[in-house]
Amino acid sequence: MDRAELTTEQVLKRDIPWETYMTTKLITGTCLQLLRRYDNRSESYRAQLLDDDGPAYIRVFVSILRDITKEETVEYVLALIDEMLTANPKRARLFHDKSLANEDTYEPFLRLLWRGNWFIREKSCKILSHIISARPKAREGIISNGEASYSKSKLTTIDDVLKGLVEWLCAQLKAPSHPTSGVPTAISCLSTLLREPLVRSSFVQADGVKLLVPLISPASTQQSIQLLYETCLCVWLLSYYEPAVEYLGTTRTLPRLVEVVKGSTKEKVVRVIALTLKNLLTKGTFGAQMVDLGLPQIVQSLKAQAWSDEDLLDTLNQLEVGLKDNIKRLSSFDKYKQEVLLGHLDWSPMHKDPVFWRDNITNFEENDFQIICVLIMILDTSGD
Amino acid sequence: MNDADVSKQIQQMVRFIRQEAEEKGNEISVSAEEEFNIEKLQLVEAEKKKIRQEYERKEKQVEIRKKIEYSMQLNASRLTVLQAQDDLVSSMKEAAGKELLNVVHDHHGYRKLLKELIVQSLLRLKEPAVLLRCRKDDLGLVESVLDSAKLEYAEKANVHPPDILVDTIVYLPPAPSHHHAHGPFCSGGVVLASRDGKIVCENTLDARLDVVFRKKLPEIRKWLFGQFAA
Repeated sequence: MDRAELTTEQVLKRDIPWETYMTTKLITGTCLQLLRRYDNRSESYRAQLLDDDGPAYIRVFVSILRDITKEETVEYVLALIDEMLTANPKRARLFHDKSLANEDTYEPFLRLLWRGNWFIREKSCKILSHIISARPKAREGIISNGEASYSKSKLTTIDDVLKGLVEWLCAQLKAPSHPTSGVPTAISCLSTLLREPLVRSSFVQADGVKLLVPLISPASTQQSIQLLYETCLCVWLLSYYEPAVEYLGTTRTLPRLVEVVKGSTKEKVVRVIALTLKNLLTKGTFGAQMVDLGLPQIVQSLKAQAWSDEDLLDTLNQLEVGLKDNIKRLSSFDKYKQEVLLGHLDWSPMHKDPVFWRDNITNFEENDFQIICVLIMILDTSGD
Repeated sequence: MNDADVSKQIQQMVRFIRQEAEEKGNEISVSAEEEFNIEKLQLVEAEKKKIRQEYERKEKQVEIRKKIEYSMQLNASRLTVLQAQDDLVSSMKEAAGKELLNVVHDHHGYRKLLKELIVQSLLRLKEPAVLLRCRKDDLGLVESVLDSAKLEYAEKANVHPPDILVDTIVYLPPAPSHHHAHGPFCSGGVVLASRDGKIVCENTLDARLDVVFRKKLPEIRKWLFGQFAA
């Protein structure tokens, strides 16, 4: 069987010899009991079981993953958990139940990220992100402390978990373990994780931002559009985080974003990119760059298209206003004068904006056309 | 297309629509959370700034109050020092005053002194006729030197000897004693006046002490207080 293309359904068709495990003392009698009750039942039956005693089943799964290394069994249990979470994602909260406080529920999944076939890794990643997202939020800012307070030193703290996961994700982006689904899995996972400030800082520190950039390119197929959307989602989430914004300024992210938004027909892609641009507009030199890249005109043409989302229209309007403000600020005559007098002429927006020239034509007359004289001198002497 | 295919397609569409909706929902939730964070941060910063300003103001007030207190204290202590210096100087003058009494007991010296005092007054007054007043106890001594004083003055001033009338009705008060500690007193010397009483030259020992004292006060202060003399 081609392991790389294993699906959950295929895995769950297997029959795992739980009894043998019990005789070899790898699982306990209670574990066996619970397994037999849960295994191969219908979803509604399972729902009842989990409602009654969810944490117990979690404990069983986690201990199997911890103690048993046989690939088929591991895959089977992962598939069980995956199925459980797909049917009802809120079940991820069960992992954080107080009765499991002494168990290290993160450890097996973290470990499995790095070994085994793609099925195992992918499922571990998915499950881990679900568990992380579902963890109880203590008072803001004290999340990691809350974890550490009831975990002993031998249990993995949430910081380590996040760092480990981010590390794995970056590794995936650099060199995917699976040719087609490696990167999408990683991006998908990132788009949910990057909501957290901790993850944002680990990601930026792990130098992950530049790994996102090559993925921002116009897409046509269904899968690539989804990937593009999720990548732009990641960028948008990062644009709320200052250090990431600085980083984005050094890479060539902005031109790529503008390129994509120019040609895209997919509403959600345009939506996310517009939100990102709105965030970046006020920071650093992004405003000037955007005007340079001709964004005002692009926004105009985007507005003309009939989008059904009124929020998108709002965002586009805000962008338009913001860009106009920017142009006005950058086009002040004084700045132009300063540039001329210093001899540092640069193709900034105001040089090309006809409105600027029209408004300021009279200002050139001051000081006996001093500016014109200097300009002539520069044009004569400069070879640029 | 049979029913199975149709329902499969419908399911796919449902899944698709649901996914789109969830994604949009996620975006809305993220935007809301981030906007909340930004707003909250702004509010917290604004309040912090207010509190900081409040406490800066209070600190400044305390500083000012401290400064005022300090300068008040400084002034008060300066006054105390000045007062003490003054007291010391006064006590010195008092001691000097007491010493004056001893002068009087040396009859020979005092006699000479009286004559010179009279001559000095005459030279000052430059009147041909003067009125002299002295203590009752000194009357004898004064009368004994009167003539030689007149002659000495006449020589020095190159005039005729003046006419000195000694006042035997009103005398200068006697020397200070325990009985009249706060009453008027005179330690010695004479008072001369022009006949009409308009110009007076007070040459009593007390008056001379005052003059000397006033003249020498800077030097006295320098001797007593060195660099601390204000």
